[in-house]
Amino acid sequence: MIDQRIFEDLQNKIDEESTVRDELHEIVQTLARRGRSTQAILSRAHSTPADQLKPVLDDVTTEILAQKQEVARLKAVADKHPFYKYNGLWTRELQNLVASIELCAWLGGLQEHKGPSSASFMTIEDVGKFLEIPVNLKEQDAFHLTIEEYLLALIAMVEELSRLAVNSVTLGDYTRPMQIGNFIKELFAGFQLLNLKNDILRKRSDGIKYSVKKVEDVVYDLSLRNLIPKGAPSA
Amino acid sequence: MTDTSPPTVLSIFENFRDELDEHHDRRERIIKKSRDITALSKKIIFALQRVRATNQPLPPKIAQENQVRFDQINALFEAVVPEQLGINSWRYQRQLSPGIQEFIEAVSFDHYLRTQTLISHAEVAARVPAQILVTEEDYLLGLFDLTGEMMRFAVLSLSSGNAAATKTDEAAVESESKAPTLAPSQGDIVVDLRAMRARFEGLSVPRRHNMLRDLAKKLEVMQASVEKVERAAYGILVRGSERPSGWTPDLSAAAEVESH
Repeated sequence: MIDQRIFEDLQNKIDEESTVRDELHEIVQTLARRGRSTQAILSRAHSTPADQLKPVLDDVTTEILAQKQEVARLKAVADKHPFYKYNGLWTRELQNLVASIELCAWLGGLQEHKGPSSASFMTIEDVGKFLEIPVNLKEQDAFHLTIEEYLLALIAMVEELSRLAVNSVTLGDYTRPMQIGNFIKELFAGFQLLNLKNDILRKRSDGIKYSVKKVEDVVYDLSLRNLIPKGAPSA
Repeated sequence: MTDTSPPTVLSIFENFRDELDEHHDRRERIIKKSRDITALSKKIIFALQRVRATNQPLPPKIAQENQVRFDQINALFEAVVPEQLGINSWRYQRQLSPGIQEFIEAVSFDHYLRTQTLISHAEVAARVPAQILVTEEDYLLGLFDLTGEMMRFAVLSLSSGNAAATKTDEAAVESESKAPTLAPSQGDIVVDLRAMRARFEGLSVPRRHNMLRDLAKKLEVMQASVEKVERAAYGILVRGSERPSGWTPDLSAAAEVESH
């Protein structure tokens, strides 16, 4: 005898879950749309000389703040459910947002949100404070930014910066490739401290060394031709 | 971070390393336990396949053997509990899930053989420590695997020679004619499998969210199992009297019972 209530209960659970997913999905979609517009503005940095970046960064900040609103909406809904059950729905978009925040901060925006760390990037705590979300929760089951998400965002920023090193030269800025080189080597050293397993973090962080090499090549080309200004940070 | 001096890049990453190490270690411990649970559950299922009758207590020897295994599984679940507290129950759900599904397959098969009913989700959850998360998804996928075991059981028992031999009173009443029939318990499995198939097919799972991974494949395997039993029942009825003693129905075709 097969009790049909068993299957009715299952159907109810499936329906409940897809309602939750629909609701989260809608917010994540909005976050993604705004994220694309943030990235579009950020990419203007590749064609804007450093001394004219201010208006670009202001625009980016506006977009990032709009995304922050969506994160707040997302948090409100996600907090009603087990965090890791649905985390996969938004993790990508949250990573993209954090990468944009980091890049914007590195370029000189969002300075008031950088903490006292000696690092030249926003720490995970800085980012959490700025977005007003907790980070790295280990016991409390609530919405937060995970370490993995933060690290993946840093990797995305590194990739973007290695592209910027090349484009800076095109804009006639020979100092920035040195700064970028120093910075991503610092991060690279950090990533090398991690014991990574065969997961997404490992795969993505393997790419950092290529970014480092790309920037080193640029710096090499410049120094070979004596194009590096005096007083620039040495590579 | 509680120290007062501002963190350096290295100290930041050292902290990350410790956190990630802790995560990976825990993840691996859970995977190991999950594999052990899977192996024990498979043994339980093998033992149950040696049972020949439904809806009555299991033969004492098999019941005893399996009780030992269920106790071992329970100890494994207890050992997983501290790893899966609070936020971590969903974090490591994927790692424990294969073990849980296999366990559900074993428990539900055991339950079916003894009572000829499906075990409910609540009953399954009551068989593991309260802190262990038994998702509806694992429960459902476990039931899919159950149909495979029911198929094997039905085909083996159809062939074990007591088809059409023993008839209870109710069956005897309606079969005045000399046409061969299936023993009630065997007929019931066919009916139950068919009912389960209809219910499984009746579930509507939205495609858009990628819920219930590999549902389509599970459905296919389940449908094949049901058909195999239907054909075996047909074979017994039509050719039952002609078959030589010791004959077993052909199980070789597409014996795709296990999916992992």
